[in-house]
Amino acid sequence: MQQHTTITEATFLRDADLRPIRKRRGRPTHRILVSFSAAYFAAAFVTDIVYWQMPDVVWERFSIWLIAAGLVMAGLAAVAYVIDLAGHRRMERPVWPRVVGYGLAVLLALINAFVHSRDGYTAVVPTGLMLSGLVVAVLLVTASVAAALANRHRIGA
Amino acid sequence: MHAPRIPRSTKLPRVAAILVAVAGLGLAGCDDHAGDPKVQIGANPVLPEVQQYLMPPMRIAEVVGWGKDEAPSVPQGLQVHALATGFQHPRSLYVLPNGDVLVVESNGPKAPVYRPKDIITGWVQSFAGAKAEDANRITLLRGTKADGTPELRTVFLDHLDSPFGVALIGHDLYVANTDAIVRYPYQDGQTSITAAGTKLTDLPGGPIDHHWTKALLASPDGSKLYVGVGSNSNVGENGIGAEYERAAIWEVDRASGAHRIFASGVRNPTGLQWEPETGKLWAIANERDEIGPDLVPDYLTSVQDGGFYGWPYSYYGQHLDPRIVPQRPDLVATAIKPDYALSSHVAPLGVAMYTGTDLPANYRGGAFVGEHGSWNRTPLNGYKVVFVPFSGGRPSGPPQDVVTGFLDANNHAHGRPVGLAVDRTGGLLIADDVGNTVWRVSSLRPGSSPKPAS
Repeated sequence: MQQHTTITEATFLRDADLRPIRKRRGRPTHRILVSFSAAYFAAAFVTDIVYWQMPDVVWERFSIWLIAAGLVMAGLAAVAYVIDLAGHRRMERPVWPRVVGYGLAVLLALINAFVHSRDGYTAVVPTGLMLSGLVVAVLLVTASVAAALANRHRIGA
Repeated sequence: MHAPRIPRSTKLPRVAAILVAVAGLGLAGCDDHAGDPKVQIGANPVLPEVQQYLMPPMRIAEVVGWGKDEAPSVPQGLQVHALATGFQHPRSLYVLPNGDVLVVESNGPKAPVYRPKDIITGWVQSFAGAKAEDANRITLLRGTKADGTPELRTVFLDHLDSPFGVALIGHDLYVANTDAIVRYPYQDGQTSITAAGTKLTDLPGGPIDHHWTKALLASPDGSKLYVGVGSNSNVGENGIGAEYERAAIWEVDRASGAHRIFASGVRNPTGLQWEPETGKLWAIANERDEIGPDLVPDYLTSVQDGGFYGWPYSYYGQHLDPRIVPQRPDLVATAIKPDYALSSHVAPLGVAMYTGTDLPANYRGGAFVGEHGSWNRTPLNGYKVVFVPFSGGRPSGPPQDVVTGFLDANNHAHGRPVGLAVDRTGGLLIADDVGNTVWRVSSLRPGSSPKPAS
């Protein structure tokens, strides 16, 4: 236990050495855009649930615009990611689980946009609703896996 | 156990792979297997299972227009020539008692954008000539010169609001704008009306106005007007509240302007005509889209007083549409199966029951139907004028192609037939709304002008 604590402190110390550099550069732009798109996709899941319970066309319209806005943000995030890479910004590690998870979520959201462009009830129930839920689930899993990995790296386990 | 913090820069290949996968999905959505339209003709069309798409098939014919001396094709014994050209989206036709021909030039109000899909649909349809400017006028054609063109061409009525149907009763000329029936005073031989109109009744118009064409037909005794009022959506996706008194054929009392719903559940009824033998009301209807290349067949049907024809809850009787919730089993139980299927997505928009004498005798008593043509089916369907023979007041056989060649071998559209009318001497008139021409079909007789090259 004592040993473990020591290592952790050492880790923090080494991390702290890098932090001023990262803070000065700020959070990579693509991460902000990713947060926006995730919020839109999550909101679409909420409006889908409302439509499922009370099939008024206004909720379906909310959903498709939210998904579309999420996809636009995802597109901008992809552009920003390339720019961030080109600018040699220091990315937070580990990146791969995030890219794969987020890419999967966006792919599902794109399919969902087509499903939501159908006419009437089957634009949402059941396929659209399930896809909206799946997108949120993938985003949550991605975030928690990424956070866990980041934490593990940080504590050096 | 720290891995060195080196920025990774080799992520792009996998991102590219994801993008390729997405593109592949889009293409897969276009893969549909349309059957033979012939099995969807007549009283008992074959109806496949409902298909739902990621990306509904859209296949429009590129509009190339008519070259000099180009014309549609007609069978042996008939001839076709351009009565007049240079119109702006001519949509329907009406023949006055003195033989003057009214050409309604109209293209509907601007469609609102409620969903991202509306932007894309509008963009795609602009390639099919559906977005020409709305002329909002009626042009009058009179007489025929030696070269077959009219002696007189005037603007008969201007500044209308997406007009479609026209009906003359005595000296009252009724025009069905998209949002109202308006009455104008008409004197025999008049070539232009400048008098202000009087509104008889409002009709369901904007702001959505998905199906904007309002067909009009006067009752034989002149006391009633029948109006085709199309639905406000494909299948109720704008909410059932937007469909109030739509997808219906109205009966309007000419004296009071009051109306009742004569028949309902008809998605987009046009081509209202009296069947000459029985005196029954007939109509054509455009059925719903996006559940497959062979669903749902458009139809020609007699219209029963008080009848319900299914839309949006069901089609062809009791075939439920899964896109409508809550369903209405009480209505579906009463849904009438239409009389005669014309096959899917042909988009009939004009009917002429033929009672003239110029064309060969086998056309007498039957119905010509103008099929505007499909935009969401591969291969394309429609783009022609067909003839449905009638016997005893009922369709009595398969349709015959009468006017073709609107579509060439490369699937380019020279024109698209819409409204039909029979002129005073028995010729069949066809409004061509992307060829911007009115065609006239007549019998080829020895001594008459030769058939133009087609």
